[in-house]
Amino acid sequence: MSDIVRGDPDTYPAWFQNKKTTRPLIVSRWVPIFLVGVPVLVLLAIVIYPTIWMFYHSLRDTNIQGLFMGNHSYIGFENYATVLSSDRFQDSLVHLVQYLTFGAVFQVILGTVLALTLYEFVKSNAIRTTVLILMVLPMMLPPSIVGTLWRFLLTPSNGAVNQALLDLGLISAHIEWFNAGVSLWSIIIADTWNWTALPLLIVYSGRVSLPPAVYEAARVDGASQWKVMRRVTLPMLKEVIAIAFILRFTDAFKFVDLVYVMTSGGPAQSSELPTYIAFQRGIREFAIGEAAAYAIVIFAISAILITLFLKYMKRVMKAQGFA
Amino acid sequence: MADVTLTNVNKIYGEGPSAVHAVQDLNLKIDDGEFVALLGPSGCGKTSTLRMIVGLESISSGSVHFDDRNVSALEPQDRNVAMAFETYALYPNFTVEQNLAFPLEVRGFSADEQKKRAQNVAELLRITDLLDAYPPALSGGQQQRVSLGRALIREPDVFILDEVMSHLDAHLKFQMLFDLKRLHRELGRTMIYVTHDQVEALALSDRVAVMSNARLQQVGDRNTLYNAPANVFVADFIGEPPTNFFQAQAVESDGDLRLAVDDAKFTLHLSEKTRAAVKAHGGARFIAGIRPQNLTPATASDATSGQTTATLSAKVSINEYLGERSILTAHRGPVSFRALAPPETRSAPDEIVELAYDPANVMVFDPETEDLVH
Repeated sequence: MSDIVRGDPDTYPAWFQNKKTTRPLIVSRWVPIFLVGVPVLVLLAIVIYPTIWMFYHSLRDTNIQGLFMGNHSYIGFENYATVLSSDRFQDSLVHLVQYLTFGAVFQVILGTVLALTLYEFVKSNAIRTTVLILMVLPMMLPPSIVGTLWRFLLTPSNGAVNQALLDLGLISAHIEWFNAGVSLWSIIIADTWNWTALPLLIVYSGRVSLPPAVYEAARVDGASQWKVMRRVTLPMLKEVIAIAFILRFTDAFKFVDLVYVMTSGGPAQSSELPTYIAFQRGIREFAIGEAAAYAIVIFAISAILITLFLKYMKRVMKAQGFA
Repeated sequence: MADVTLTNVNKIYGEGPSAVHAVQDLNLKIDDGEFVALLGPSGCGKTSTLRMIVGLESISSGSVHFDDRNVSALEPQDRNVAMAFETYALYPNFTVEQNLAFPLEVRGFSADEQKKRAQNVAELLRITDLLDAYPPALSGGQQQRVSLGRALIREPDVFILDEVMSHLDAHLKFQMLFDLKRLHRELGRTMIYVTHDQVEALALSDRVAVMSNARLQQVGDRNTLYNAPANVFVADFIGEPPTNFFQAQAVESDGDLRLAVDDAKFTLHLSEKTRAAVKAHGGARFIAGIRPQNLTPATASDATSGQTTATLSAKVSINEYLGERSILTAHRGPVSFRALAPPETRSAPDEIVELAYDPANVMVFDPETEDLVH
């Protein structure tokens, strides 16, 4: 019980004293240390240590055998050179841009349009709720199921999608959904089906929480619905849309599952994303050092992009007096 | 500019057994250039009334006219009304200048014209130094000014203010009262002001419309509301501290009609006029009311001033000293009531004081309808 401190904050170590108040803690001084310490240890074990480990091995010629035998040597930035100069990686960057544009960005746009349409044009709460629940259902499925499902749906010869398009007369021959140049689009379609509800939910809840008085003011001021949407609603939802975008953006950089399940990056590596190559090189082919270099390059690209984006957001918000 | 006429206006929210009749048979005419306050406690229907005038709420039955124009079915933007909101309702992503100019932008005014008018309105409201700021960075008082400016900028026929001061602190409120009064004098526009604060309502407006329980109780200027309240509600609601009410019985002795207050063993004298009214009204039981302002400790000068005063003695139980005046809570038997005394009054608890009143200030109400007997 000697650890219980009542009344004399001076007995705390200097780094532990509350600068703002002299109100003493009424719990043991070990409680806060414990509360902070455990998560820090867990993070050290599962995030920080592996990250340092990865940096270390990205500079070494580690493969699976070398890893277990402890024989790997320093090779400088050779792994990075291999990664950056490989056509496979450069192609995958093009695929990533395609996926970011028509996956992440398009999903946020589509989600926003759907959310605002739902809010502005559907006035019945029951219908709104039903639509939201239906839209969210795909998000609850595990990626392996989504991938398998869409592989069935998109099967060229007897898949439901081709059959439906044929029946509707929109196409005259089967679309080869898993040929080179098309397979990445198939993945994007499945991913859009899977994840559009996330930006939709975020933007919808953002719209619900906007102050109704502002809209009444706009009505009295005489603004048309379109004008209100463009000049009032969308600008006020800017931060919310940005959050939805950041979430989809970070997901895109770690996007492996559907690629793995639907195409395995094929045919001929035509639907590979950088993360998939890192996974393939590291977990499948045991080129640990090279896979580590892949991971770090991807990390660097995403970190730079996110930082720029957040900087921009902060500037916008500061100008408006929010931050 | 326009006058506003509400004819048999009703507002019913919902349907069936859960329907709420928020405004009942409201008739009100507001003259061109008049400043009218809609005053009443929360839930009395004043905000519903205002929203029907603006057009944000549909009218269940009845009609609203601006001059001879029936605007009942028109959208707000077609009525040429402007409104300042309780929560300011500024566009947070616009600068103050853009906020002010938005109604003009919507109507297709040129950028130059927008800038010029925003500048004028900003000068009128003394916010020229805020034109480039964004609303979230402004204080409540500044935001409310911008909101007023946005309402003023397009020179509406009718200018509507919805509880615009309820989020301002006392000091700002005082400043704002002054500014609104000045604006009304400079612009001469029809203004309708909704509030639950009688001080604001009485200070600002030419006439006050008092509402309660979905009905308009009385419309009148300060004197009418004060001295001839239409019913017990108005007498109780207007005035601070509230009016003293007594259950009383009419008694006549030697041809002099008085009101005997139950259980308190005192009678209230009435003026000639009130006596006649009470007689004409008939009945034995009444509610008598007298304002604390009209009940003050008797002084020697009362006796010599020649005024017709009556007195009653009562025992002081509480003396609240409020700086510029004191409120005495006195009682006689089980009946307690308030009187206003000069600040220097130093009545000790349980001291017997002689309170003087002018019989003309005794108000008499019918106990059933609660209407003024006059």
